[in-house]
Amino acid sequence: MTVVLLPKKIFIQTFFRSFLLQASWSFQGLQSLGFLFVLFPALEFFYEGEELKCVCARYLEKFNTHPYMASPIMGMCLALEEKQGKEAGISSQDLKEMTMFPYAAMGDSLFWGGLKPLAAVLSLFLAVKGSLWAPLVFLVLFNVPHLGCRLGWLWQGYRQGLDMIQIVQKWQLPDLAMRLKEATIVLLGSLSAFLVFHYLEMEKINPGLGVVFIPLLCVGVLLFKKGISSLTCVLLSAGFVFLLSLIWNWI
Amino acid sequence: MIISHICTASIVSIVAGLDRTAAFQLMISRPIVVAPLTGWLLDTPLVGLEVGLLVELLWLCFLPVGASIPPDDTQVSIAATLLAGTGDYYIEAGSLSLVLVAVLSCCALGKIGQVFDGWARRFNGQFIIATQRAVAEGHLNHIGRNHLKGLLVFGFASWASFVVIGFCGALFLYLFFVVLKMGPPLEPVAGFLRILFPLVGAAAILANLKVRRSVTLYLASFVSTLMLFWFFK
Repeated sequence: MTVVLLPKKIFIQTFFRSFLLQASWSFQGLQSLGFLFVLFPALEFFYEGEELKCVCARYLEKFNTHPYMASPIMGMCLALEEKQGKEAGISSQDLKEMTMFPYAAMGDSLFWGGLKPLAAVLSLFLAVKGSLWAPLVFLVLFNVPHLGCRLGWLWQGYRQGLDMIQIVQKWQLPDLAMRLKEATIVLLGSLSAFLVFHYLEMEKINPGLGVVFIPLLCVGVLLFKKGISSLTCVLLSAGFVFLLSLIWNWI
Repeated sequence: MIISHICTASIVSIVAGLDRTAAFQLMISRPIVVAPLTGWLLDTPLVGLEVGLLVELLWLCFLPVGASIPPDDTQVSIAATLLAGTGDYYIEAGSLSLVLVAVLSCCALGKIGQVFDGWARRFNGQFIIATQRAVAEGHLNHIGRNHLKGLLVFGFASWASFVVIGFCGALFLYLFFVVLKMGPPLEPVAGFLRILFPLVGAAAILANLKVRRSVTLYLASFVSTLMLFWFFK
Protein backbone atom coordinates (compact mmCIF):
# COMPACT_ATOMS: atom_id res chain seq x y z
CA MET A 1 0.00 0.00 0.00
CA THR A 2 1.37 3.43 -0.90
CA VAL A 3 1.10 5.99 1.88
CA VAL A 4 0.53 9.59 0.75
CA LEU A 5 2.20 11.95 3.23
CA LEU A 6 0.31 14.96 4.48
CA PRO A 7 1.76 18.25 3.13
CA LYS A 8 3.14 20.66 5.76
CA LYS A 9 0.67 23.33 4.67
CA ILE A 10 -2.30 21.14 5.59
CA PHE A 11 -0.70 20.18 8.91
CA ILE A 12 -0.26 23.88 9.79
CA GLN A 13 -3.84 24.56 8.70
CA THR A 14 -5.01 21.74 10.98
CA PHE A 15 -3.05 23.23 13.89
CA PHE A 16 -4.62 26.68 13.48
CA ARG A 17 -8.08 25.20 12.98
CA SER A 18 -7.68 23.31 16.27
CA PHE A 19 -8.11 26.65 18.08
CA LEU A 20 -11.70 26.68 16.83
CA LEU A 21 -12.50 23.14 17.96
CA GLN A 22 -15.31 24.28 20.26
CA ALA A 23 -16.82 27.04 18.08
CA SER A 24 -20.04 25.07 17.61
CA TRP A 25 -20.03 23.16 20.91
CA SER A 26 -23.54 21.82 21.51
CA PHE A 27 -25.24 19.40 23.87
CA GLN A 28 -26.29 17.34 20.83
CA GLY A 29 -22.96 16.79 19.10
CA LEU A 30 -20.53 18.10 21.74
CA GLN A 31 -17.23 18.74 19.85
CA SER A 32 -17.97 16.44 16.89
CA LEU A 33 -18.61 19.16 14.30
CA GLY A 34 -15.50 21.01 15.53
CA PHE A 35 -13.38 17.86 15.26
CA LEU A 36 -14.53 17.34 11.68
CA PHE A 37 -13.90 21.03 10.90
CA VAL A 38 -10.31 20.75 12.17
CA LEU A 39 -9.49 17.59 10.22
CA PHE A 40 -11.46 18.46 7.06
CA PRO A 41 -8.54 19.82 4.96
CA ALA A 42 -6.57 16.63 5.69
CA LEU A 43 -9.56 14.38 4.99
CA GLU A 44 -10.14 16.23 1.70
CA PHE A 45 -6.51 15.48 0.83
CA PHE A 46 -6.73 11.77 1.64
CA TYR A 47 -10.20 10.97 0.27
CA GLU A 48 -12.53 12.09 -2.47
CA GLY A 49 -16.05 11.59 -3.74
CA GLU A 50 -18.36 9.15 -1.98
CA GLU A 51 -15.55 7.93 0.31
CA LEU A 52 -14.98 11.45 1.63
CA LYS A 53 -18.72 11.78 2.33
CA CYS A 54 -18.71 8.55 4.36
CA VAL A 55 -15.62 9.57 6.33
CA CYS A 56 -17.18 12.98 7.15
CA ALA A 57 -20.42 11.32 8.31
CA ARG A 58 -18.36 9.03 10.56
CA TYR A 59 -16.63 12.03 12.18
CA LEU A 60 -20.00 13.61 13.02
CA GLU A 61 -20.64 11.01 15.71
CA LYS A 62 -20.49 12.35 19.29
CA PHE A 63 -17.06 13.35 20.54
CA ASN A 64 -15.93 15.33 23.57
CA THR A 65 -12.63 15.72 25.36
CA HIS A 66 -10.47 18.43 26.92
CA PRO A 67 -9.86 21.04 24.18
CA TYR A 68 -6.07 20.92 24.60
CA MET A 69 -5.91 17.13 24.88
CA ALA A 70 -7.78 16.84 21.59
CA SER A 71 -4.46 17.61 19.85
CA PRO A 72 -2.83 14.16 20.34
CA ILE A 73 -6.12 12.50 19.30
CA MET A 74 -6.23 14.66 16.16
CA GLY A 75 -2.61 13.82 15.41
CA MET A 76 -3.29 10.08 15.78
CA CYS A 77 -6.41 10.37 13.59
CA LEU A 78 -4.29 12.10 10.91
CA ALA A 79 -1.80 9.22 11.06
CA LEU A 80 -4.61 6.66 10.82
CA GLU A 81 -6.31 8.43 7.93
CA GLU A 82 -2.97 8.72 6.17
CA LYS A 83 -2.74 4.93 6.23
CA GLN A 84 -6.53 4.83 5.72
CA GLY A 85 -6.84 2.72 8.88
CA LYS A 86 -5.57 -0.36 7.07
CA GLU A 87 -2.28 -0.94 8.83
CA ALA A 88 -3.21 -0.54 12.42
CA GLY A 89 -6.42 -2.54 12.34
CA ILE A 90 -8.27 0.15 14.31
CA SER A 91 -10.59 2.84 12.97
CA SER A 92 -10.36 6.50 13.89
CA GLN A 93 -13.82 6.15 15.46
CA ASP A 94 -12.58 3.42 17.82
CA LEU A 95 -9.51 5.49 18.62
CA LYS A 96 -11.63 8.54 19.49
CA GLU A 97 -13.97 6.52 21.70
CA MET A 98 -11.03 4.85 23.43
CA THR A 99 -9.09 8.02 24.23
CA MET A 100 -11.59 10.86 24.70
CA PHE A 101 -12.62 10.16 28.31
CA PRO A 102 -9.20 9.38 29.83
CA TYR A 103 -7.65 12.33 27.96
CA ALA A 104 -10.47 14.61 29.13
CA ALA A 105 -9.83 13.64 32.73
CA MET A 106 -6.06 14.16 32.33
CA GLY A 107 -6.54 17.55 30.64
CA ASP A 108 -9.02 18.79 33.25
CA SER A 109 -6.71 17.81 36.05
CA LEU A 110 -3.49 19.11 34.45
CA PHE A 111 -4.62 22.35 32.79
CA TRP A 112 -7.77 23.44 34.64
CA GLY A 113 -6.90 22.01 38.05
CA GLY A 114 -3.09 22.39 37.99
CA LEU A 115 -1.61 24.92 35.60
CA LYS A 116 -4.40 27.54 35.65
CA PRO A 117 -4.56 28.00 39.46
CA LEU A 118 -0.75 28.02 39.66
CA ALA A 119 -0.41 30.75 37.02
CA ALA A 120 -3.27 32.71 38.63
CA VAL A 121 -1.78 32.62 42.14
CA LEU A 122 1.68 33.65 40.90
CA SER A 123 0.27 36.59 38.94
CA LEU A 124 -1.90 37.67 41.89
CA PHE A 125 1.27 38.35 43.92
CA LEU A 126 2.00 41.11 41.39
CA ALA A 127 -1.62 42.28 41.32
CA VAL A 128 -1.63 42.79 45.10
CA LYS A 129 1.37 45.12 44.69
CA GLY A 130 -0.54 47.00 41.96
CA SER A 131 1.73 45.86 39.14
CA LEU A 132 0.19 45.86 35.68
CA TRP A 133 2.57 43.04 34.70
CA ALA A 134 0.20 40.62 36.48
CA PRO A 135 -2.02 39.81 33.44
CA LEU A 136 1.02 39.41 31.20
CA VAL A 137 2.74 37.09 33.67
CA PHE A 138 -0.43 34.98 33.86
CA LEU A 139 -0.71 34.74 30.07
CA VAL A 140 2.95 33.77 29.64
CA LEU A 141 2.93 31.22 32.49
CA PHE A 142 -0.20 29.55 31.16
CA ASN A 143 0.19 29.83 27.42
CA VAL A 144 3.84 28.90 26.89
CA PRO A 145 3.33 25.33 28.21
CA HIS A 146 -0.20 25.10 26.82
CA LEU A 147 0.65 26.15 23.27
CA GLY A 148 3.81 24.04 23.32
CA CYS A 149 1.76 20.99 24.35
CA ARG A 150 -0.90 21.62 21.70
CA LEU A 151 1.57 21.91 18.82
CA GLY A 152 3.95 19.24 20.12
CA TRP A 153 1.19 16.70 20.81
CA LEU A 154 -0.46 17.23 17.43
CA TRP A 155 2.89 16.70 15.68
CA GLN A 156 3.88 13.73 17.84
CA GLY A 157 0.44 12.16 17.48
CA TYR A 158 0.78 12.43 13.72
CA ARG A 159 4.35 11.11 13.63
CA GLN A 160 3.98 8.34 16.21
CA GLY A 161 0.45 7.22 15.36
CA LEU A 162 -1.01 4.81 17.92
CA ASP A 163 2.31 4.71 19.84
CA MET A 164 1.30 8.15 21.12
CA ILE A 165 -1.09 6.46 23.57
CA GLN A 166 1.85 4.81 25.31
CA ILE A 167 3.93 7.98 25.13
CA VAL A 168 1.19 9.96 26.91
CA GLN A 169 0.92 7.18 29.47
CA LYS A 170 4.69 7.35 30.11
CA TRP A 171 4.52 11.09 30.86
CA GLN A 172 2.36 10.38 33.92
CA LEU A 173 0.35 13.55 33.51
CA PRO A 174 -1.91 12.90 36.55
CA ASP A 175 1.22 12.84 38.77
CA LEU A 176 2.44 16.08 37.21
CA ALA A 177 -1.00 17.62 37.85
CA MET A 178 -0.78 16.57 41.50
CA ARG A 179 2.66 18.25 41.87
CA LEU A 180 1.26 21.44 40.32
CA LYS A 181 -1.70 21.39 42.70
CA GLU A 182 0.59 20.99 45.72
CA ALA A 183 2.72 23.91 44.53
CA THR A 184 -0.48 25.95 44.07
CA ILE A 185 -1.56 25.25 47.66
CA VAL A 186 1.81 26.33 49.08
CA LEU A 187 1.76 29.51 47.00
CA LEU A 188 -1.87 30.15 47.93
CA GLY A 189 -0.88 30.03 51.60
CA SER A 190 1.88 32.59 50.97
CA LEU A 191 -0.47 34.80 48.94
CA SER A 192 -3.11 34.76 51.69
CA ALA A 193 -0.46 35.65 54.30
CA PHE A 194 0.84 38.43 52.02
CA LEU A 195 -2.69 39.87 51.68
CA VAL A 196 -3.37 39.68 55.42
CA PHE A 197 0.03 41.25 56.24
CA HIS A 198 -0.64 44.10 53.78
CA TYR A 199 -4.08 44.76 55.26
CA LEU A 200 -2.89 44.72 58.88
CA GLU A 201 0.00 47.05 58.08
CA MET A 202 -2.35 49.50 56.36
CA GLU A 203 -4.69 49.45 59.36
CA LYS A 204 -1.63 49.85 61.66
CA ILE A 205 -2.41 46.58 63.48
CA ASN A 206 0.30 44.20 64.72
CA PRO A 207 0.88 41.76 61.78
CA GLY A 208 1.30 38.89 64.26
CA LEU A 209 -2.47 39.06 64.75
CA GLY A 210 -2.79 37.67 61.23
CA VAL A 211 -3.00 34.19 62.79
CA VAL A 212 -6.56 35.15 63.79
CA PHE A 213 -7.46 34.54 60.14
CA ILE A 214 -6.50 30.85 60.40
CA PRO A 215 -9.68 29.66 62.21
CA LEU A 216 -11.76 31.81 59.83
CA LEU A 217 -10.14 30.13 56.84
CA CYS A 218 -10.69 26.69 58.37
CA VAL A 219 -14.38 27.47 58.90
CA GLY A 220 -14.54 28.60 55.25
CA VAL A 221 -13.00 25.32 54.04
CA LEU A 222 -15.47 23.32 56.18
CA LEU A 223 -18.42 25.31 54.79
CA PHE A 224 -17.28 24.69 51.20
CA LYS A 225 -16.87 21.00 51.92
CA LYS A 226 -20.50 21.03 53.15
CA GLY A 227 -21.52 22.40 49.75
CA ILE A 228 -21.90 26.16 50.38
CA SER A 229 -20.96 28.16 47.25
CA SER A 230 -18.16 30.72 47.29
CA LEU A 231 -20.60 33.40 46.12
CA THR A 232 -23.00 32.77 49.02
CA CYS A 233 -20.07 32.82 51.41
CA VAL A 234 -18.70 36.12 50.06
CA LEU A 235 -22.13 37.80 49.98
CA LEU A 236 -23.04 36.68 53.50
CA SER A 237 -19.70 37.65 55.05
CA ALA A 238 -19.58 41.00 53.21
CA GLY A 239 -23.17 41.72 54.28
CA PHE A 240 -22.36 40.80 57.89
CA VAL A 241 -19.24 43.00 58.00
CA PHE A 242 -21.13 45.90 56.41
CA LEU A 243 -23.98 45.50 58.93
CA LEU A 244 -21.49 45.63 61.80
CA SER A 245 -20.03 48.81 60.31
CA LEU A 246 -23.51 50.35 60.05
CA ILE A 247 -24.31 49.52 63.68
CA TRP A 248 -20.90 50.90 64.77
CA ASN A 249 -21.60 54.15 62.88
CA TRP A 250 -25.07 54.42 64.36
CA ILE A 251 -23.79 53.93 67.96
CA MET B 1 -19.97 56.73 31.51
CA ILE B 2 -20.26 57.53 27.86
CA ILE B 3 -21.38 55.52 24.83
CA SER B 4 -17.80 54.92 23.68
CA HIS B 5 -16.98 53.27 27.04
CA ILE B 6 -19.96 50.92 26.70
CA CYS B 7 -19.04 50.08 23.08
CA THR B 8 -15.42 49.35 24.04
CA ALA B 9 -16.48 47.10 26.92
CA SER B 10 -19.01 45.37 24.61
CA ILE B 11 -16.26 44.51 22.12
CA VAL B 12 -14.07 43.16 24.92
CA SER B 13 -17.04 41.14 26.24
CA ILE B 14 -17.52 39.46 22.83
CA VAL B 15 -13.80 38.72 22.26
CA ALA B 16 -13.22 37.46 25.81
CA GLY B 17 -16.53 35.57 25.76
CA LEU B 18 -15.40 33.70 22.64
CA ASP B 19 -12.03 32.95 24.26
CA ARG B 20 -13.87 31.39 27.20
CA THR B 21 -15.22 28.40 25.24
CA ALA B 22 -15.57 28.81 21.51
CA ALA B 23 -12.22 30.04 20.22
CA PHE B 24 -8.52 29.96 21.13
CA GLN B 25 -8.90 29.51 24.93
CA LEU B 26 -5.75 31.52 25.55
CA MET B 27 -7.23 32.55 28.92
CA ILE B 28 -7.77 36.18 27.95
CA SER B 29 -11.15 35.52 29.54
CA ARG B 30 -9.70 35.07 33.04
CA PRO B 31 -10.60 38.00 35.37
CA ILE B 32 -6.92 38.76 36.09
CA VAL B 33 -6.41 39.40 32.36
CA VAL B 34 -9.73 40.67 31.04
CA ALA B 35 -10.43 43.17 33.84
CA PRO B 36 -7.09 45.04 33.53
CA LEU B 37 -7.47 44.86 29.72
CA THR B 38 -10.90 46.48 29.93
CA GLY B 39 -9.56 48.99 32.43
CA TRP B 40 -6.63 49.80 30.16
CA LEU B 41 -8.95 50.40 27.20
CA LEU B 42 -11.17 52.60 29.39
CA ASP B 43 -8.11 54.44 30.75
CA THR B 44 -8.55 53.02 34.27
CA PRO B 45 -6.12 50.07 34.32
CA LEU B 46 -5.66 50.00 38.10
CA VAL B 47 -9.42 49.71 38.64
CA GLY B 48 -9.36 46.71 36.30
CA LEU B 49 -6.44 45.20 38.20
CA GLU B 50 -8.32 45.59 41.48
CA VAL B 51 -11.42 43.92 39.99
CA GLY B 52 -9.23 41.11 38.62
CA LEU B 53 -7.65 40.57 42.04
CA LEU B 54 -11.07 40.35 43.69
CA VAL B 55 -12.76 38.03 41.18
CA GLU B 56 -9.93 35.75 40.01
CA LEU B 57 -9.86 33.24 42.86
CA LEU B 58 -13.58 33.29 43.60
CA TRP B 59 -14.70 30.78 40.96
CA LEU B 60 -11.33 29.36 39.94
CA CYS B 61 -12.20 25.98 41.48
CA PHE B 62 -15.23 25.59 39.18
CA LEU B 63 -13.84 23.50 36.35
CA PRO B 64 -15.61 23.50 32.97
CA VAL B 65 -15.63 19.69 33.09
CA GLY B 66 -17.61 17.96 30.32
CA ALA B 67 -20.88 19.78 29.74
CA SER B 68 -20.85 21.75 33.02
CA ILE B 69 -20.89 25.55 32.80
CA PRO B 70 -19.22 27.59 35.56
CA PRO B 71 -20.50 31.09 36.56
CA ASP B 72 -19.45 33.71 34.01
CA ASP B 73 -16.58 35.46 35.82
CA THR B 74 -15.47 36.98 32.49
CA GLN B 75 -18.57 39.14 31.97
CA VAL B 76 -18.72 39.86 35.72
CA SER B 77 -15.17 41.28 35.57
CA ILE B 78 -15.79 43.36 32.43
CA ALA B 79 -19.07 44.79 33.74
CA ALA B 80 -17.61 45.53 37.20
CA THR B 81 -14.59 47.30 35.64
CA LEU B 82 -16.86 49.40 33.41
CA LEU B 83 -19.16 50.34 36.29
CA ALA B 84 -16.41 51.05 38.83
CA GLY B 85 -14.04 52.78 36.43
CA THR B 86 -16.40 55.09 34.58
CA GLY B 87 -19.64 55.23 36.59
CA ASP B 88 -20.85 58.41 38.23
CA TYR B 89 -22.60 57.67 41.53
CA TYR B 90 -21.61 60.73 43.57
CA ILE B 91 -18.58 58.79 44.75
CA GLU B 92 -15.08 59.07 43.28
CA ALA B 93 -14.79 56.78 40.23
CA GLY B 94 -12.34 53.97 40.94
CA SER B 95 -12.53 54.34 44.73
CA LEU B 96 -12.20 51.07 46.65
CA SER B 97 -15.80 51.27 47.97
CA LEU B 98 -17.16 51.64 44.43
CA VAL B 99 -14.99 48.77 43.13
CA LEU B 100 -16.15 46.49 45.96
CA VAL B 101 -19.86 47.16 45.52
CA ALA B 102 -19.56 46.90 41.72
CA VAL B 103 -17.86 43.51 42.05
CA LEU B 104 -20.36 42.30 44.67
CA SER B 105 -23.39 43.32 42.63
CA CYS B 106 -21.99 41.85 39.38
CA CYS B 107 -20.87 38.62 41.10
CA ALA B 108 -24.40 38.11 42.39
CA LEU B 109 -25.47 38.10 38.72
CA GLY B 110 -22.77 35.68 37.56
CA LYS B 111 -25.34 32.89 37.15
CA ILE B 112 -26.94 34.86 34.29
CA GLY B 113 -23.89 34.03 32.19
CA GLN B 114 -24.57 30.33 32.74
CA VAL B 115 -28.12 30.79 31.42
CA PHE B 116 -26.98 32.47 28.18
CA ASP B 117 -24.11 30.00 27.72
CA GLY B 118 -26.54 27.09 28.16
CA TRP B 119 -28.88 28.68 25.61
CA ALA B 120 -26.00 29.01 23.09
CA ARG B 121 -25.05 25.35 23.54
CA ARG B 122 -28.64 24.23 22.97
CA PHE B 123 -29.05 26.58 19.96
CA ASN B 124 -25.86 25.21 18.37
CA GLY B 125 -27.50 21.78 18.25
CA GLN B 126 -29.26 22.79 15.02
CA PHE B 127 -25.90 23.23 13.27
CA ILE B 128 -24.88 19.62 13.82
CA ILE B 129 -28.24 18.41 12.45
CA ALA B 130 -27.91 20.74 9.45
CA THR B 131 -24.36 19.49 8.84
CA GLN B 132 -25.40 15.83 9.02
CA ARG B 133 -28.06 16.55 6.39
CA ALA B 134 -25.63 18.55 4.22
CA VAL B 135 -22.98 15.80 4.36
CA ALA B 136 -25.55 13.17 3.41
CA GLU B 137 -26.51 15.32 0.40
CA GLY B 138 -22.85 15.83 -0.49
CA HIS B 139 -22.66 19.56 0.33
CA LEU B 140 -19.33 19.34 2.15
CA ASN B 141 -18.67 23.07 1.94
CA HIS B 142 -21.41 23.50 4.59
CA ILE B 143 -19.20 21.90 7.27
CA GLY B 144 -17.06 24.99 7.85
CA ARG B 145 -19.96 27.40 7.40
CA ASN B 146 -22.20 25.65 9.95
CA HIS B 147 -19.36 25.24 12.42
CA LEU B 148 -18.35 28.91 12.30
CA LYS B 149 -21.96 30.04 12.81
CA GLY B 150 -21.47 28.78 16.37
CA LEU B 151 -19.03 31.67 16.93
CA LEU B 152 -21.83 34.16 16.26
CA VAL B 153 -24.10 32.38 18.75
CA PHE B 154 -21.43 32.26 21.48
CA GLY B 155 -20.48 35.89 20.77
CA PHE B 156 -24.09 37.01 21.09
CA ALA B 157 -24.58 35.00 24.31
CA SER B 158 -21.48 36.65 25.84
CA TRP B 159 -22.61 40.13 24.88
CA ALA B 160 -26.14 39.51 26.19
CA SER B 161 -24.71 38.33 29.55
CA PHE B 162 -22.54 41.45 29.71
CA VAL B 163 -25.52 43.74 29.00
CA VAL B 164 -27.78 42.14 31.61
CA ILE B 165 -25.05 41.96 34.29
CA GLY B 166 -23.94 45.55 33.56
CA PHE B 167 -27.47 46.97 33.53
CA CYS B 168 -28.59 45.25 36.76
CA GLY B 169 -25.24 46.08 38.39
CA ALA B 170 -25.61 49.77 37.49
CA LEU B 171 -29.12 49.85 38.98
CA PHE B 172 -27.83 48.32 42.21
CA LEU B 173 -24.95 50.81 42.43
CA TYR B 174 -27.35 53.69 41.91
CA LEU B 175 -29.61 52.36 44.65
CA PHE B 176 -26.70 51.73 47.04
CA PHE B 177 -24.75 54.99 46.64
CA VAL B 178 -27.28 57.54 45.40
CA VAL B 179 -30.63 56.51 46.88
CA LEU B 180 -29.53 54.85 50.15
CA LYS B 181 -26.27 56.87 50.48
CA MET B 182 -24.38 53.87 51.87
CA GLY B 183 -20.93 55.00 50.71
CA PRO B 184 -19.62 56.52 53.97
CA PRO B 185 -20.48 53.54 56.26
CA LEU B 186 -18.71 51.22 53.81
CA GLU B 187 -15.38 53.07 53.89
CA PRO B 188 -14.11 51.84 57.31
CA VAL B 189 -14.54 48.17 56.30
CA ALA B 190 -13.48 48.49 52.64
CA GLY B 191 -9.91 47.36 53.39
CA PHE B 192 -11.15 44.21 55.10
CA LEU B 193 -13.61 43.42 52.31
CA ARG B 194 -10.74 43.78 49.80
CA ILE B 195 -8.96 40.77 51.30
CA LEU B 196 -12.19 38.88 51.98
CA PHE B 197 -12.71 37.99 48.29
CA PRO B 198 -9.32 36.33 47.69
CA LEU B 199 -9.43 34.58 51.07
CA VAL B 200 -12.88 33.11 50.37
CA GLY B 201 -11.57 32.06 46.93
CA ALA B 202 -8.53 30.46 48.57
CA ALA B 203 -10.76 28.51 50.99
CA ALA B 204 -12.94 27.36 48.06
CA ILE B 205 -9.86 26.18 46.14
CA LEU B 206 -8.58 24.31 49.21
CA ALA B 207 -11.90 22.56 49.61
CA ASN B 208 -12.10 21.58 45.95
CA LEU B 209 -8.52 20.68 44.98
CA LYS B 210 -8.31 16.99 45.71
CA VAL B 211 -4.88 16.97 47.34
CA ARG B 212 -3.99 15.05 50.50
CA ARG B 213 -2.99 17.24 53.47
CA SER B 214 -4.00 20.36 51.52
CA VAL B 215 -5.09 22.29 54.65
CA THR B 216 -1.85 21.37 56.49
CA LEU B 217 0.27 22.47 53.52
CA TYR B 218 -1.70 25.70 53.20
CA LEU B 219 -1.51 26.57 56.90
CA ALA B 220 2.22 25.80 57.10
CA SER B 221 2.84 28.10 54.17
CA PHE B 222 0.49 30.80 55.56
CA VAL B 223 2.07 30.87 59.02
CA SER B 224 5.69 30.73 57.81
CA THR B 225 5.13 33.54 55.27
CA LEU B 226 3.36 35.71 57.84
CA MET B 227 6.16 35.16 60.34
CA LEU B 228 8.80 35.98 57.71
CA PHE B 229 7.07 39.25 56.80
CA TRP B 230 6.61 40.14 60.45
CA PHE B 231 10.25 39.37 61.25
CA PHE B 232 11.73 41.28 58.30
CA LYS B 233 9.34 44.24 58.21
